[in-house]
Amino acid sequence: MKIGRILLGLIIGAAAGAALYVVMRLILGMPAMSANPWPMIALMAATGVIGLMLGIEPSLGLARALAGMVLGFAVGLLLVYGIRLLLGMDPAWSPEPAWVTGALLGTIGFLLGVGVVTDWLKWTWGEETPLQDGPPKGKPAWVRYFGPDQNHKVIGVQYTVTGILLLGTAGSFAMIFRTELSKAGIDFLPADLFNTFISIHGIVMIASILLGVGGLMNYLVPLMLGARDMAFPRLNSFGFWVAVPGAILIVLALFFGGWDTGWTGYAPLSVRGPLGIDFFMLGVFIFGFSSIVGAVNLITTVVGMRAPGMSMFRMPIFVWASLATSLIQLTGTQLIALSFLMVVLERIFNMGFFDPASGGKVLLFQHLFWFYSHPAVYIFILPGLGIISELLPVFARKPLFGYKWIALSSMAIAIIGFLVWAHHMFTSGMSESLRVPFMYSTMLVAVPTGVKFFSWLGTMWRGKLTFPTPMLFVLTSIAVFLIGGLTGPPLATVPTDLHLHDSYYVVGHFHATMFGGFVFPFFAALYFWFPKITGRMYNERLGKVHWLLQTVGFYTMSLFMMRAGLLGMRRRIVDYDPALGVEGYQTVVTWAGWIIFISVTIGVINLAWSAYRGKVAEPNPWGSRSPEWQIPSPVPEHNYEEPFEVVGDPYDYGVPGSVYVKIEPEPASG
Amino acid sequence: MKHGIIVGAIIAVVSAAMILWMRTIQWMPVQAAAEARPIDWLFGLHIDVITFLYVLVNGILLYSIFVFRRKKGEEDAVGANLHGNTKLEIAWTVIPLITVLFFAYLGTLVLNDISAAAADEMDVNVRARQWSWSFEYPEAGVKSTELYLPAGRKVKLTMTSEDVIHSFWVPEFRVKMDTVPGITTTLRITPSEEGTYKVRCAELCGTAHAAMLGTIRVVSPEEFEQWLQGKQAPTSPADLSEEELVTLGASTAEAAGCLACHSVDGSKSVGPTWKGLFGSERTLADGSTVVADEDYIRESILNPKAKTVAGFPDIMPPTYGDTLSELDVEALIAYIRSLK
Amino acid sequence: MAVTTAPAHEAHHEEVSPARRLYLNRLGLWLFIISESFLFGGILVSRFYLWGSTRPHLDQALGMSVTIILLISSFFANRAEVAIKYDDHKTFFRSILMTIGLGLLFLVGVVGMEWRTSPVTPMMNGEFNVYGAILFFMTGMHAFHVLTGVIILAIIARLGKKGHFSSRNFWGVEAAVVYWHFVDVVWVFFYPALYLIGTAVGPAH
Ligand code: HEA
Ligand code: HEA
Ligand code: HEC
Ligand code: CUA
Ligand SMILES: [Cu+2]
Repeated sequence: MKIGRILLGLIIGAAAGAALYVVMRLILGMPAMSANPWPMIALMAATGVIGLMLGIEPSLGLARALAGMVLGFAVGLLLVYGIRLLLGMDPAWSPEPAWVTGALLGTIGFLLGVGVVTDWLKWTWGEETPLQDGPPKGKPAWVRYFGPDQNHKVIGVQYTVTGILLLGTAGSFAMIFRTELSKAGIDFLPADLFNTFISIHGIVMIASILLGVGGLMNYLVPLMLGARDMAFPRLNSFGFWVAVPGAILIVLALFFGGWDTGWTGYAPLSVRGPLGIDFFMLGVFIFGFSSIVGAVNLITTVVGMRAPGMSMFRMPIFVWASLATSLIQLTGTQLIALSFLMVVLERIFNMGFFDPASGGKVLLFQHLFWFYSHPAVYIFILPGLGIISELLPVFARKPLFGYKWIALSSMAIAIIGFLVWAHHMFTSGMSESLRVPFMYSTMLVAVPTGVKFFSWLGTMWRGKLTFPTPMLFVLTSIAVFLIGGLTGPPLATVPTDLHLHDSYYVVGHFHATMFGGFVFPFFAALYFWFPKITGRMYNERLGKVHWLLQTVGFYTMSLFMMRAGLLGMRRRIVDYDPALGVEGYQTVVTWAGWIIFISVTIGVINLAWSAYRGKVAEPNPWGSRSPEWQIPSPVPEHNYEEPFEVVGDPYDYGVPGSVYVKIEPEPASG
Repeated sequence: MKHGIIVGAIIAVVSAAMILWMRTIQWMPVQAAAEARPIDWLFGLHIDVITFLYVLVNGILLYSIFVFRRKKGEEDAVGANLHGNTKLEIAWTVIPLITVLFFAYLGTLVLNDISAAAADEMDVNVRARQWSWSFEYPEAGVKSTELYLPAGRKVKLTMTSEDVIHSFWVPEFRVKMDTVPGITTTLRITPSEEGTYKVRCAELCGTAHAAMLGTIRVVSPEEFEQWLQGKQAPTSPADLSEEELVTLGASTAEAAGCLACHSVDGSKSVGPTWKGLFGSERTLADGSTVVADEDYIRESILNPKAKTVAGFPDIMPPTYGDTLSELDVEALIAYIRSLK
Repeated sequence: MAVTTAPAHEAHHEEVSPARRLYLNRLGLWLFIISESFLFGGILVSRFYLWGSTRPHLDQALGMSVTIILLISSFFANRAEVAIKYDDHKTFFRSILMTIGLGLLFLVGVVGMEWRTSPVTPMMNGEFNVYGAILFFMTGMHAFHVLTGVIILAIIARLGKKGHFSSRNFWGVEAAVVYWHFVDVVWVFFYPALYLIGTAVGPAH
């Protein structure tokens, strides 16, 4: 019986965990049991869940991957212990190098377990492997979403759903520490835990954005280009699966003392903190692989796999945005990886990169970190702004205003974005002669961003606007991102930044940019392409409730954050001084946060429920000209029967007789 | 054209009204330093432009939503066939470009203004550590855990940190600068309003970052001189009664940042509580025991590495000897002794 | 990552022509190399940020030798690539073995000798000053890439021995060789940064 098998899996899994725990401790020369029961319980829970999943479906890639990860960890711990024992180092059991090695081998174990590198390993042995074709044979169809599938649409869904899961995780942490902050004084969160929670909130949110961006790009770009898949389907699958152990390591950091450095991990604080910092930094490091290989894949696809007739200036705007995003991911990611790697090396081998006592320099870390992390903020928004540009013409029934300007402004933002990083360091004590040049360069980003805004207004002007849920999200994206963007120049101006830096004004600024540039457009895209992906329609009324609550909640949250910041509210503090007069604002921010939380929950429930129960969607509910809407929903396994031919411009809505693509043969469903 | 005129008029009126309203809002805390004035002026200018742009974009957005929405009976109607307008595009590239460059230019002017040196400026050295501040007046040879400043005179703070990055911020003075281990950073302020303010550490620096506050007292120049002289000729502990010592010790503990790690009410914190500490038997990390008498406490403050209490990390800053005077230490001991 | 052999014959659902596949593969590999050069660029920048115009005393003869060894290895790598495109299996195999051998020799020189003898504080003491940190970091990151290069070349050599490659199927060889050249070029930047630029300070050799 199935239930019996599942229970058996659970029990065997938990027992295996307990056994592994005892054996490991004995090998490492410790007493079999420790006074603290939680590590053992945690391990048993993890292996129990793995067993349970294997009980449900023995071929589940994810379950094998997790099992591989646990084993990898065990091997890593023993390896370091053995080596130290052999070299006669004292003490032989040194937690930090052991766990770091464990994390690395755990990741490798994960990748081997999930089977995402199997094809390549076979190649090295001279064996040829065909690409996967369609769902795995002889297994339930949903299994492909939990394993190494090579179809870009499956991978797109994997990215997106994982992204939403991480959004929920990070959002829940936000609600915990927000509740603590609603009153002055320390109520229930000790300072260390608070610091860990804001840090994990920040970095997991960022990971969730990167996954969401990856999801949209993977699902949409090949469809928009008329390609059958991405250029490197195996690499694509690898790109998704390598992100998963990265995210797991980041969350595991919680169990190793957390990390109290914020998402920025500034040295030398990060050199001193608990073991959790290693997990956080390695997690981000491994996550970086996902960004890099994803970018390689995407750029290659855009450059090399466009349908006949699709010149660069006939590509959909979203493809332009994805291209610009990928250029940043391709190059910048290496630098955050480098900075975090150096911190981990300094921690393990005492390599004094950032330690003044051994001649290191503290500011080096910040330069390396921001060289990626500033451009990274444009990774968060460029796809979102692409979505806005993509959807506005559909709902305005009008051509996109100034197509070329919008397309090139994405590139301009990406390029200028590399020249401004030190605006995060105006108060850092860096050389005086750098502050003014970086003030000027930072200001320049406002110009291409402004071009986008004004072109959007031009697109709506004298259109025939309709307002289903995706359009509502698009409109608020514009208004909200505008708040975020316009609050940027006061930060970019050195004298005013001297007051604003590291205050809640900055917190308000970046929540507004990230909600307006990513969260709102992301939901616009989810609602818009939902009928394409699932073949069903979401519930329009719930969608509007979600929109209304999120909009109201968000305006309140970000405006009040900025207000508190101007009055002197610092970032990253567990307790604030009521004498500043910010307590009332803080209470409101907490309530607003809860409203956002509820609204997003409604949205997620709406989408999840409609995927099964929603009414069947029309083939092209929005009357879009984009090629993916000219074929059946959900999209067939290999997209288009034959590559289509591009014969016109993408956004000529309302231009009589114009066509964008010619699709042959005529799809059956019309 | 008709639409353009209407929307233009609406935006002009609404943005003017909004800007006037925004100007009535007191955005920042009181201005307690000369530097605050140009900064607030520049920020106000930013707010004007932000308000205008926000009304501009949202005005057109809302106008489009209401006027250009699809009405009943227009189910198949399409929008105007507009593809773009190069002149417009150039205009809205160049005008923002000039605006932001102008702001950067103003920023440069204000920056030069507020960071200029003055001939009669006073030097103060600032040291930050987890999680307290200390100050040194090199000309007078005085060390202090509170920052006393004479109103109206420019001070040049030369700052550094002993461990991780901290950041010196007094919201009422507007300006902020990190203190960085291994290098010194400078910050100039000219306090203008007498009163008591707080330095708030603005860079996440570990557990007690939130509690890393220092006290600043801006006083009249005469009062400042008096205080400085009092510091130069320190009272000896013997001149004070036990009660006065305890009171002094309590304020020193606050100002020196001890209370970031030590509680006085028995609750658990980063370091051991001081309640009931004096005279009790302490178990050390190496298993030995020692009675917490005066000498032990003195040693714990001046050389905390010497004996580490069991169950606590050895993280207490070893540098208090440099910043606390003999009187401070005596007062602290008296205070700890008083916490039964 | 992309450095692997493509299947020789197209599976029935492979959507692009062999010529296009080769084009895409090349594009992907070059993008990967651009990405990697940002990593090494960042490392170089760190070196100049921390060392400025100084450097530690290092064994000049050793530095010069490993550099020459690596440059010669690139020559053989190139020969292997050309040979396979002309179906000259013998030269191909010999050259690739030469490349591997020289690569290993380079590793011995850097890891086996420089790491042991350099006057900066040695590894096992557990303390590095900034000279040791950067020296070990630069050479270590580079050696790691050389090592992966050697492993890839070894795989290619084995597959070549089995007759896997030919003038029609040479992508695996080309990819491995391009990667090898890249690792080589990185050293061309690292070598002067470590051994030549700036005045030597600290304990002499
Ligand atoms: C999606 C993310 C995102 C985006 C898009 C932006 C966009 C911008 N950011 Fe933001 N920023 C962050 C995310 C983002 N930022 C984050 C996460 C941090 C904090 C990191 C941390 O410390 O944890 C931060 C911090 C930050 C700082 C450092 C503050 C500090 O710590 O002291 C600065 C300083 O210059 C800055 C500036 C800007 C500017 C000038 C823009 C510009 O790109 C904005 C451009 C847009 C507009 C200006 C609006 C539209 C334009 C017009 C309508 C045209 C006309 C306009 C004018 C004439 C002004 N940001
Ligand atoms: C995408 C980015 C993103 C998003 C969406 C958010 C969302 C929120 N953020 Fe966050 N925030 C950051 C990125 C983000 N944040 C970053 C980078 C930092 C800096 C960290 C640092 O300083 O190091 C930060 C810091 C930060 C602070 C400053 C902490 C401090 O310095 O003291 C605060 C304080 O109020 C805050 C609050 C909130 C709140 C209330 C929300 C709310 O909007 C959250 C609402 C909840 C959700 C959106 C989740 C709901 C989802 C579900 C319920 C899904 C359910 C589905 C399944 C289970 C499948 N955030
Ligand atoms: C960064 C945190 C921190 C700060 C700041 C700090 N301490 Fe401590 N202190 C500790 C810790 C941790 C211990 C226990 C470990 C040890 O003995 O070194 C300790 C131990 C002590 C002890 C011995 C207590 C005992 O239980 O035996 C005394 C006395 C003391 N501190 C006094 C002070 C005074 C006075 C100050 C301020 C001038 C101060 N501390 C500031 C962390 C701190
Ligand atoms: Cu010191 Cu925060
Ligand atoms: Cu930035």
